[in-house]
Amino acid sequence: MRPAVAVVEDAALMRDSFSLLMPGLDVVAAVASVEELMDRRPVVDVVLLDLHLANLEQPDVRQGIAAVRALTGCGYRVCVYSQEERRFVLAACVAAGASGVVSKALPTDRAQQLFVEVASGGTVMPQSVVGILEVLVRRDCITLLSERQRQVLHGRARGLSYAQVARQLFVSESTLRGYWLDLTRSLSESLRSLTPSEIERALGLAPGDLLELWPADATDVKGWWRTARKPGPGR
Amino acid sequence: MNGWSRLSRVAELRTTRAGVERTFSYLIAGVRLGTVAQMIPAVNTGVATSPHASGYLACWIAAAVASVAVSVATLVRRRPLGAAAAAVDFALACTLLVLGPLVLEAGERFGTWVAYQPGYALSIIITASGVRSVALWGGGLLGVSASYLVYLGGELGGDMTSSAIGNILTYVVYALVARMLFGYIRRIAHDADASRARAAELARREEERRAQVMMHNGVAVMRLLTEPEGGLPRSRLIDLAEVELRRMRTYLRGRVPGGDESATAGGDGSGPSVALAAMIERACDRFADLSIDTLLDLGADLRLPAAQAEALERAFESLLLNVRVHARAAEVVVHLDQAEDRSWTLTVRDDGVGFDPGSVQAGVGLREVVVGELRRRGLDVRIESAVGEGTTVTIASGPEAAAGRVDGDAFVDEAA
Repeated sequence: MRPAVAVVEDAALMRDSFSLLMPGLDVVAAVASVEELMDRRPVVDVVLLDLHLANLEQPDVRQGIAAVRALTGCGYRVCVYSQEERRFVLAACVAAGASGVVSKALPTDRAQQLFVEVASGGTVMPQSVVGILEVLVRRDCITLLSERQRQVLHGRARGLSYAQVARQLFVSESTLRGYWLDLTRSLSESLRSLTPSEIERALGLAPGDLLELWPADATDVKGWWRTARKPGPGR
Repeated sequence: MNGWSRLSRVAELRTTRAGVERTFSYLIAGVRLGTVAQMIPAVNTGVATSPHASGYLACWIAAAVASVAVSVATLVRRRPLGAAAAAVDFALACTLLVLGPLVLEAGERFGTWVAYQPGYALSIIITASGVRSVALWGGGLLGVSASYLVYLGGELGGDMTSSAIGNILTYVVYALVARMLFGYIRRIAHDADASRARAAELARREEERRAQVMMHNGVAVMRLLTEPEGGLPRSRLIDLAEVELRRMRTYLRGRVPGGDESATAGGDGSGPSVALAAMIERACDRFADLSIDTLLDLGADLRLPAAQAEALERAFESLLLNVRVHARAAEVVVHLDQAEDRSWTLTVRDDGVGFDPGSVQAGVGLREVVVGELRRRGLDVRIESAVGEGTTVTIASGPEAAAGRVDGDAFVDEAA
């Protein structure tokens, strides 16, 4: 059964061609803004959200983390679908409640596969975000309860596949996927509870490096993604 | 001056098999001419007291001429005489001993150089013991000993019996000792030659390996540059080619980056350290066509000795070249992790086609540039791959790093 999805995308061409490019998805709604989606309130398994939605036609619409928060606040599962590559921006999306972050650079088949995974209750974390989470765990900024969870995170942060990590831990792949789902949910919640300054300290960033990328109240910040300042690589 | 010059040349004789044979020729000439020198002062007395003066003189001249001839021949040949000449030498010694009683007055067969025959025979036993044929050497010794008994004749039962027995034992002992020394010195020379040949072969192989390591990445880049439909922007390849060009130039100048600490890091091998994370970032920038996630936060403080970092960078680039050329990977993850005990691990994981390590023989890149070079530097390398499951390469510091010696000279020296 094809998952029902809503697409929030400012580019009309992309928006209109979604159902053609990804026949495995049932595109119930394809809209240009979060506000429009919230007006229509379609029933979907996941909302595929572009991060950058403001343009000359709709300069004041919600976008970025504010858009994620607005949708998750309405009870939607959100999967960010963006060209954004800055890892702290992606991590901020996860912290804001996104269940998945998929790059537009991926082949459409692969992207569709990941959307289905998110729609079916899974989480899709970019590797760079997994790396940040591992650092936060290692530096005791996030507390993981079990050694098994640490081992799973250790393997996934190194890019190992589910099958490889499962073999290392002597569990089945489906069991490991379950571990990973629980773990990513737990990590996302922990990430949400952290302040930018706590993350800056853990990652060895300068104070204030994350303020523009990781707003405490995203609704008040405009153009947050355009910041030219790039946080350092950490300590 | 010429004499000193010759002496110094003797002192500088090579320890090869040829050098040893030449040394033997000097020894033989010295012993034989020395014997003649000892014979000369007594020749007049011998002729005057001999019952057959002409016979005595003829025998003496035969002995002297033979000694001089053997000396000259060995010096010219730069090695001892062969089996035939040694047989003639032994035969002459036996003949002179047998003729001794005819040309010497009774009672003069011991104690003076008028009776030169036993001394002459001893010089032949010493110098001919280098002959390679055991049968000839044994037969010669036996012949000389038997001839000496003939030489003694009726005097054997007199007061000089003990001296006669002592002289025969001297022949036997000197023959054994001389043969043992000839054989042993030849064996040393043989072993030295074999060791030199082995060392030369190892040096050749090492140089070949260094050349392979140095050129492997460059060749891969050049191959990509020559492929018209490579699908990669040439500017990226040219950046990479410039890096390889610098390495090759350094190699051609006689300095191997990472292979010769004295060249890169001063004479004591202590070089400047390199921030590994920054180095990895730079290398990844040269592979911008690959989708690489670099997770380096956990090893952001890690610094390695320059030579080790150079080898690691080369290995890392070789891995990424392999991914670019063979893996058809969608994603590559580069993860650096330094533990609290200062040990560290670099993981390079791709989700490409992978390979079966059991059936695929590793190429120069993996075998030499990655595994060989890094293990020589004291790093552990593990490659895990399976068809369809991508490849994971894990590079980890050795126990020295864990002991807090990452920046130490000893680490570099031991690893090298």
